[in-house]
Amino acid sequence: MEDVKAYIETGILELYVLGDISPEEKTQVEEMASKYPEIRTEIAAIEKGLEAYALDNAVEPGEQLRDKVLNSLLTSFADDNKFPTREFLENDFDDEADEPANVVALNAKSNNFYKYAFAACLAALIASLAALYSLNERLNDSYGQIASLQSRNQTFANRVNYMQGEINIFHDTSYKMIHLQGTPKSPAAKMTVAWNPAKKKVMVDMQDMKLAANDDAHQYQLWAIVDGKPVDLGVFDAKADSTGMIEMNNVGNAAAFAVTLEKRGGVPSPTMSQMVAMASI
Amino acid sequence: MVLALRNREKIAADALYDMYSGSLFGVISRIIADTSVAEDVLQETFIKIWNSFSGYSAEKGRLFTWMVNIARNLAIDKIRSKDFKNQNKNHELENNVTFIDEQRNTVYKPELLGVKELIDKLKPEQKIILDLVYFKGYTHVEAAEELDVPLGTVKTRLRMAIIQLRRYFN
Repeated sequence: MEDVKAYIETGILELYVLGDISPEEKTQVEEMASKYPEIRTEIAAIEKGLEAYALDNAVEPGEQLRDKVLNSLLTSFADDNKFPTREFLENDFDDEADEPANVVALNAKSNNFYKYAFAACLAALIASLAALYSLNERLNDSYGQIASLQSRNQTFANRVNYMQGEINIFHDTSYKMIHLQGTPKSPAAKMTVAWNPAKKKVMVDMQDMKLAANDDAHQYQLWAIVDGKPVDLGVFDAKADSTGMIEMNNVGNAAAFAVTLEKRGGVPSPTMSQMVAMASI
Repeated sequence: MVLALRNREKIAADALYDMYSGSLFGVISRIIADTSVAEDVLQETFIKIWNSFSGYSAEKGRLFTWMVNIARNLAIDKIRSKDFKNQNKNHELENNVTFIDEQRNTVYKPELLGVKELIDKLKPEQKIILDLVYFKGYTHVEAAEELDVPLGTVKTRLRMAIIQLRRYFN
């Protein structure tokens, strides 16, 4: 009994009620209280004294606060129906007054925060993926367009180069335009040969050519008459849609040009009966 | 009351507020000078009491003791929080005390007239320590430093002060 009295007189029970005590001391006080009724009585008396002191020092909060607070309680009441908190709050009072509840509240908040943050991240990710996909589609389209433009551009450039070459030939006064006329065998036949005697170059203008289209077994062969003898200048095909100019074998000194229809690949000497067009210089 | 609170009845919430809002606000507003912030903390306190009520056990002590500890801790957390410090840099503790004392004069509770007399019988050195620990949230160690008296003295005065209070009430 003396021990109990001494224990009470240390003032630890007051600190216990005031919450100003370490968790170990708190456990100790609670053990003592469960063992000795005197200590329980003492604690209750201290509590009543302090409670009355608080009541004496009461400050009334603003009138409007009452509704605000009670409404927020009812709101949280609704929440609690959905999320029972009993389980993790069970032991609150065993630990330091309200510390655990405090921790729980913070956790709940930060959990919520991470939940929302995660949802936001997910939404942003989905939006990004959608944007990425559509951008990628458009990029592929663009690539296709660029490729087709490049190929058209290439075709154009080729054509321009080519026509430039042709124009050069036509403008070059050293070229002679030789117009071959049809023979009695094929009076409609007609073609032009551009000939540069100085450079010995011979070109056939495929566009300005009116020869019957040859079949797969035959080809036209161009001849130059040099010193009364035919010289082979090469073979070519005549098609309805032929364009451009083709370069034939060189010849520097010709008295006449003639075209014969020969078997594919050409022959060493012309078959006179197959002559379709000719022109003398 | 405790049972109704456990069952989360609305009537319990009303009763809880009407019975304890003044006492709890008295503690909170002695720690936090700004009335609107103090009222926010009072609201938080009631929400916390309401939500963690299953953690209260009548065997461990009186309901008010449990609640006042929640209120005091929330108020202390608030004044230690960063944003509060930033917005209240210029508030001095002295202003706070004056402010509270002015505010107290406006509270009139006839049933407490007797208590007032008793409180006046508390010796000043007892009252100072009791107020520091009970209303300001000082630990007894901090109170000893603040007042520059030995720890043992603080404990003794605290005990004597509370015994004075008990003499009247018990």
